[in-house]
Amino acid sequence: MVLIINRSLWFVPTLVGLMIITFTISHIIPADPVAFFAGENATNEQIEELRARYGFDKPLHIQLINYLIGVTQGDLGVSIYTQRPISEDLLSRLPATMELTFMAVLLSTVVGIPLGVIAAVYRNTMFDHVLRVITVSGLAIASFWLAILFQLLFAMELQITPLQGRIDGWGPEVITGFFLIDSIIAGDFDSFMNAAAHLVLPTLTLAFPAMATIMRFTRAGVLDAINSNYVLYEQAMGFPSRIIIWKYVLRNALIGTVTQIGLVFGILIAGTVVVEAVYDWPGLGLYAVEAILNSDYNAIMGFTLITGAFFIIINLIVDIIQGVIDPRN
Amino acid sequence: MSFTTVFRTFAMLLAIFAISTTGTPTKSFAKSKFVFANSSPYDTLDPHVIYDVGRVASRLNMYDGLMRWLDNPPKLTPWLAESYDISSDGKKYTFKLRKGSTFHDGSPIEAKDVVYSIERILALKKGAFSLFSKSLEPGSTKAPDAHTVVFNLKKPSSIFLATVPAIHVVNSDLLKSKEVNGDWGGVWLSKNEAGSGSFELTRYDPAVGFQAKRYANHFMGWGDKYLDEIEFRTVKEINSRVLGLMNGDFHGTDGYLPQDQVKRLAADDNMNVMEEESMRIFYSIIHNGRKPFDDVNLRKALSYAFDYDSFINNILSGSVARNPAPVPNNIWGNPKDEKGYTFDLEKAKEHLAKVKQPIPEITIGALTGYGQTEQAAALLQNGLSKIGVKSKIVSEPWSVASKKMRDEQQMYDLLWLWRSTYYADPNNWIGEMYACDQIGARNNSWYCDPEVDKLLMEARVEPDQAKRAANYKKAAKMVTDDAGGIFVYNTKWFGPYNKKVKGVRFSPIGNAQEMRWVHME
Repeated sequence: MVLIINRSLWFVPTLVGLMIITFTISHIIPADPVAFFAGENATNEQIEELRARYGFDKPLHIQLINYLIGVTQGDLGVSIYTQRPISEDLLSRLPATMELTFMAVLLSTVVGIPLGVIAAVYRNTMFDHVLRVITVSGLAIASFWLAILFQLLFAMELQITPLQGRIDGWGPEVITGFFLIDSIIAGDFDSFMNAAAHLVLPTLTLAFPAMATIMRFTRAGVLDAINSNYVLYEQAMGFPSRIIIWKYVLRNALIGTVTQIGLVFGILIAGTVVVEAVYDWPGLGLYAVEAILNSDYNAIMGFTLITGAFFIIINLIVDIIQGVIDPRN
Repeated sequence: MSFTTVFRTFAMLLAIFAISTTGTPTKSFAKSKFVFANSSPYDTLDPHVIYDVGRVASRLNMYDGLMRWLDNPPKLTPWLAESYDISSDGKKYTFKLRKGSTFHDGSPIEAKDVVYSIERILALKKGAFSLFSKSLEPGSTKAPDAHTVVFNLKKPSSIFLATVPAIHVVNSDLLKSKEVNGDWGGVWLSKNEAGSGSFELTRYDPAVGFQAKRYANHFMGWGDKYLDEIEFRTVKEINSRVLGLMNGDFHGTDGYLPQDQVKRLAADDNMNVMEEESMRIFYSIIHNGRKPFDDVNLRKALSYAFDYDSFINNILSGSVARNPAPVPNNIWGNPKDEKGYTFDLEKAKEHLAKVKQPIPEITIGALTGYGQTEQAAALLQNGLSKIGVKSKIVSEPWSVASKKMRDEQQMYDLLWLWRSTYYADPNNWIGEMYACDQIGARNNSWYCDPEVDKLLMEARVEPDQAKRAANYKKAAKMVTDDAGGIFVYNTKWFGPYNKKVKGVRFSPIGNAQEMRWVHME
């Protein structure tokens, strides 16, 4: 409980720090979103008037203070491109990214942990070597390239997955924004299967490097635990090795892995920027790419704020889970 | 967690993966539905906020204007207007509206809607505002009756008519009912439409695109071949657009793909790649206002140091047309006999020897993400190194370059870029790029020659097109002789479509994205 309170107290200062850094960096870049938005035909008077309308004519620190005041009132500002509130744009795209990220974390965890354990148990065998090649590949191959390879193989050559998009057509009626859940609620099995099929390639692309990381950490953790005295004791007591590994060793080994999963979550959210662009996935990553290219400051800040908050929350949850699974507690 | 539990979970996930992949539904489109993959996001549908070619589909398909640009070379065609009249002093433009035209909600299109539309453009100061800001005062446009609109210009203008298609007419009664805090209905219109165009909006998601169905009561009527539904989706990645087209996910995509992708599509039996010469010239701005670039000999040396043939034939595989002057080849006012410069290092050296001022290291600007600008910069750098001129390439995003272009001090010595078609009149190119009154705005060369400027100013108010053409031809030759910029090519449009798609009409202003003539076979 102390841990939760302690971490929660740091939540706001961390986010404020993040916003100040992002705000400063995005505004220091010598770009002019107003001139860009107004277009090459715009007159200088027009640009100056628009700049004043959106408050870009004010000193940087005043702009920052105004922004922070707005955030405390739940106002993330308006996009100069869409004219809509940033919060509206973010909320409409958040479920797409979350659905993809959750699936990637789930897949990388469920596959990565068992394979990591098996690699440790059968260390230095052919199986371990093969997994090492896979994990190194997972960490080394660029997501962009992997995504295109997957598209060419599974969608174009084998034609067993969709090429891109989140669903054929426009999807089920939005309730949660998660198509898998919404289609189940609507009892629409076709939409569920269609959405699941569209998830396959983006999930695989996103999960591959994460799975490699989790696998390596699990392997290292298990190897470390296997060599400890309590395992030697359990072996001397005649415990079956299956019980020793999956019940006692894994619980100790997972502490480091769980921390890694929390970090991986953040990395995956960042990874969606590339994956969403290739698979035309209408989520936050694609939104962030557009916002950065257009120097849409409020959109950049909104994206940073929401992903930062999410990352902090996930890591808080990870800390809690660690406390639960740590045998010493 | 036991091994069995882990194994079962793993197996279950794999099963879901297997089922979902094998259960991929086959794509099926109704015969009359057309799906287009667009590179630009449809982040807003408001026709008065945006004025770029990338998002033109929402404007052309859901909105009408008094006039329309059609075909190539573009012809200005009465659209919602059945006729127009220009006063002898060139300051009063009177349009008579067709009777019986209706908005998508069934209400009639009246002159008050046109007045509201232009007032909205002038108030928002976005999109096409710059086309009208110097010619129209707010409140000056009148509707003497329900079917007559009068534009009272501040000063005579011969280009006003060419800009009228940019006034997309919105349903004023509907929009007024959606206004919040004097926003002219902006928030509502960003996600909805209030038009009368050939298609009416059925679904919109800023992250995905828009879908629209045929508006059966459109004033133009319909033949027996048409599309029932259109869908424009945002697909950022070129590779994804091309694969999607080949895969049958889409029926068309943008016509400015890299040549390797165009060839790849042309080789596909199910594809038809249309080819048209567009009106988008590629050139390098030279900062004429900065020393030593104010010396014509240095500018000529730069122009002779660029290898035009290698760029066009080798780098771009001959996919563009040489355009040696600051007016596109395919519009009136282009000096047909102008040959421009060739790659000639000896002549470059001759001119360089005449430059009296010291020549510093030259900064060649390029646009990040636009490979051609970087390739052109590298090619010019190569040419310059052969005549002993040092240079460096600075590649920056458009959002940075567009700021520097407006600042005399920050502007690059040279900058490679395109000039697109906003309205099909030579003034869109030379008239803005080299007019003295546009310096720092649309004239980013800081070029100001009194004689050229006189020709351009006369052409802006002269009603006789033949006389205007003569002025533009003469001015274009003078700017070229003066090496005001390095003029390289005019773009060709290679529109890739599924072979079932018929009736595509290309116009440089809309890039073939108006769908009312398209049908599927």
